[in-house]
Amino acid sequence: MPVDIPKDKWPGAVRTITLGATPAEGGTRARTVTVGGEKALPYMHFEAEMPYRPVIALEIKDRRPDDWSPLLLEEWGEAASDPASWAKAAEAAGADLLVLALSLTGADGQPTTPAAAVAAAKAVLAASGLPLIVFGPGQAEADNTLLLAVAEATKGERLALGICEDKNYRTIVAAALANDHLVTARTPMDVNLAKQLNILISDMGLPLDRILMDPTTGALGYGIEYGYSVMERLRLAALQGDAMTQFPMIVTPGFEAWKAKEAKVGQGVPAEWGNWRERAITWETLTAVTLLESGADIVVLRHPESVRRVRAAIDDLMTAPVTA
Amino acid sequence: MTHLVTFDAALEPVRVPTGTLLSEAARLAGLNLMQPCGGQGRCGRCAVRIIAGSARRRSSLRLSADDVAAGWALACQTVVEGDVTVAVPPQESIERRLTTDRTAREVVAPPGYDPIRDQTIRRLNLTLPPPSLDDQTDDWSRLQTAIRQESGLAVTRLDLDLLRRLGRILREGEWQVTAVVEDGPAEARLIDLRSGHTPVEAPLWGAAIDIGTTTVTLWLVDLLTGRVAAQVAEYNGQIARGEDVISRIIYASKNNGGQELQQLVLETITALLEAACARVGVSPSEVVKATFAGNSTMIHLLLGIPAESIRLMPFVTAVNHVPPLTGRDIGLPIHPAAAVDCLPGVASYVGADITAGVLSSGLDDAEAATLFIDIGTNGETVLGNREWLLTCACSAGPAFEGAGVLHGMRATRGAIEEVWINGATYEPTFRVIGGVPPRGLCGSGLISLLAEMFLTGVVDKGGHINTTLPTPRVRVGDHGPEYVVAWAAESATGSDIVITAVDIDNLLRAKAAIYAGFSVLADSIGMPLADVDRVLVGGSFGQYINVEKAVEIGLLPDIPWERFSFLGNTAVRGAYLALLDRAARERVRAIASRLTYIELSADNRFYEAFTSALFLPHTDLSRFPTVQAARAT
Repeated sequence: MPVDIPKDKWPGAVRTITLGATPAEGGTRARTVTVGGEKALPYMHFEAEMPYRPVIALEIKDRRPDDWSPLLLEEWGEAASDPASWAKAAEAAGADLLVLALSLTGADGQPTTPAAAVAAAKAVLAASGLPLIVFGPGQAEADNTLLLAVAEATKGERLALGICEDKNYRTIVAAALANDHLVTARTPMDVNLAKQLNILISDMGLPLDRILMDPTTGALGYGIEYGYSVMERLRLAALQGDAMTQFPMIVTPGFEAWKAKEAKVGQGVPAEWGNWRERAITWETLTAVTLLESGADIVVLRHPESVRRVRAAIDDLMTAPVTA
Repeated sequence: MTHLVTFDAALEPVRVPTGTLLSEAARLAGLNLMQPCGGQGRCGRCAVRIIAGSARRRSSLRLSADDVAAGWALACQTVVEGDVTVAVPPQESIERRLTTDRTAREVVAPPGYDPIRDQTIRRLNLTLPPPSLDDQTDDWSRLQTAIRQESGLAVTRLDLDLLRRLGRILREGEWQVTAVVEDGPAEARLIDLRSGHTPVEAPLWGAAIDIGTTTVTLWLVDLLTGRVAAQVAEYNGQIARGEDVISRIIYASKNNGGQELQQLVLETITALLEAACARVGVSPSEVVKATFAGNSTMIHLLLGIPAESIRLMPFVTAVNHVPPLTGRDIGLPIHPAAAVDCLPGVASYVGADITAGVLSSGLDDAEAATLFIDIGTNGETVLGNREWLLTCACSAGPAFEGAGVLHGMRATRGAIEEVWINGATYEPTFRVIGGVPPRGLCGSGLISLLAEMFLTGVVDKGGHINTTLPTPRVRVGDHGPEYVVAWAAESATGSDIVITAVDIDNLLRAKAAIYAGFSVLADSIGMPLADVDRVLVGGSFGQYINVEKAVEIGLLPDIPWERFSFLGNTAVRGAYLALLDRAARERVRAIASRLTYIELSADNRFYEAFTSALFLPHTDLSRFPTVQAARAT
């Protein structure tokens, strides 16, 4: 007996946003990445085509991150000590794009200088043709100084600069505006706050196709349900036509999962928890896949094996099993 | 092509080209028109009247259709298109006629007030037959008979202390005495007895008192005429022990905190009583009746009743209808036998301030759907009409009463009550209560300031100060980014008067709580805010609140201005009406029984509504069409 699958028709759609610029477009990237464009809830292929696959970014640092899990440092080996090598390794591991996260201080304990930040960004751009996202260290003053310098030095590359927050967005947005970049707007797991920051950023005149929103999330077991529900509500608002929520979503499951005790700690945990490496990768993968199902367009990961597994999941999700 | 522009206030007409602004023509004619907003057509202070001739209004934002029909035009927004004759009114008359500057009503006694019919307190001049061997009736019975004959009241009670002095008073006055009696709810009672008669026109004093979480207000009233002889207000002495009711309750439950809080509020009321009585030259002990309004926590703390249960599930008060009390019970320096009446509350968070406010607003008898918003520390809201009444309360904090803000103050002399900011130079102009050098900012000044900062881009929609603006007024101080409203040289305090980022956060939270409160209340019965016929605004704002600016920051709903009325402090006015009129007092009881309370803490829509209102004017801009339009110009 034929079954009629009920279909929702939505008045709104997520904006289509392209990261990176090829030489023809004024940049140096070998290729660009386009996300967004959804006209239905995630993977409801029978309601509307999902024009762009969700993409995977790998996070690399400007210097060896001593606070990262030994599992990650072991995996990346010597590459983690040099941003250019790390970028190459990340591209080889299957990343669609890269996130360069700047450190607050250099190896000598002194604050990272704008020159050092620019050098790291340029080295990454030279080593890999993937589009690039650059995150500041997460401290307002340092973010502003470093990102401004990076933005100017990489004019036209259509990088995404982050992280804009409601208390600190002006300088980063101005830098993006002046140098043809994008921004990521991060808010702490709240639909209204997300919308408010998007309004503030667009009030500065940044075109709406240059904003990614990061609604923040928690790792599996650390509040992911809440993050999931906020993302789902943001996406529902976007599909219902709320212009200030119609931005592709970027989330950082790698950062979140590798903070969790289950991924971070290998000793002094119950034996039933099993193999540490397997557990940590599973934690990152499950966090990422869950967020993809709630509408994430870009997931930022840390472990190459997680990239492979999440990519397999995306392949599955993008295969439309039901047609009508 | 040039045209002749004639100003009535100028000596000579001036000749200007087509398209010249009237404000420019006025300058050429040697006139100095006020333009606090910098000629952006926002403040309405440059309004002039076109008597004859041709001019075109580019914008008439602050003018009503009637104003325009009468020839009013904003000089900074009106261009000369032919010969024109213009009348320049005196500045004060402009300020008076601006449509949104609503003034509080004068306090007038309720029409037809009849103390013999309405008042529970009577003062009787009595002449008693002296006792004799033929008439050995005891003194008390003799007095009771005289009172009954004079007033029909069967007085059955008096204080033992007065009974001890009774015989002496009667004999000292040679059987001519003045009796003050209360026709109380249960029985008639002798409050006071004095030798000799009292002139009938002499006042009989009562007090209406509103104990706000932040501000205590007292009106000294002649019970015989209803005249308000003095209005005084002061911050509640309990503020230092917690800014909101919850922290007060917690403080009260520790050690002797309850006793201390009771003492603090009694001290505040005593000081107000003494100040009010000193103004009319009487002793506080002359006050024979006092009526209190206040939220449930304030009433509990006043009476020294443990308030802990208000805070804890399932949120019950010890008492909603406080039985009749006396001056001696309550510990104030009023007459020891004075009648003390605490108006009834409804629930833990719907106290006598709301029931009194509803009485004062007349909402319970309104035909039309009316929204009553009390802009105070507990943002209480009532929506309804004569058929139904819904209420809710949300903790807004004391910012709109000028507390919890670095340079905030009450709406008294020296308070900046309205501000305009020039959009090109970011220089402010302000008006100070009493026309003296400023000491700080009161609630209406803060609302006005925030609206102007928003409209001129000193703050963004998130309320963050834009520290990159080219003006020394914006700087980073000890409390983070701040905007200087008045320099030390022009202030009465000798230091700069500023508004800080922290102050703005507090104001935003306060306005968001109030907006969320009434929007959820309206939503709970499926009523769009646009369908509200009247909005009554209460609060301790001094003279007035600028509705337009309150809408611009998203404190009040964006509906036509003419639907708003500003009522001032409605709680004390309600207490005043109940103090005077027993029918009004009965009506408060009826209101208390009719109010349906919506518990916002149990409503998950509230938090959602709150965070979306935590923006200027609101995250959902479509709720504020006129603000959107004003920003676009």
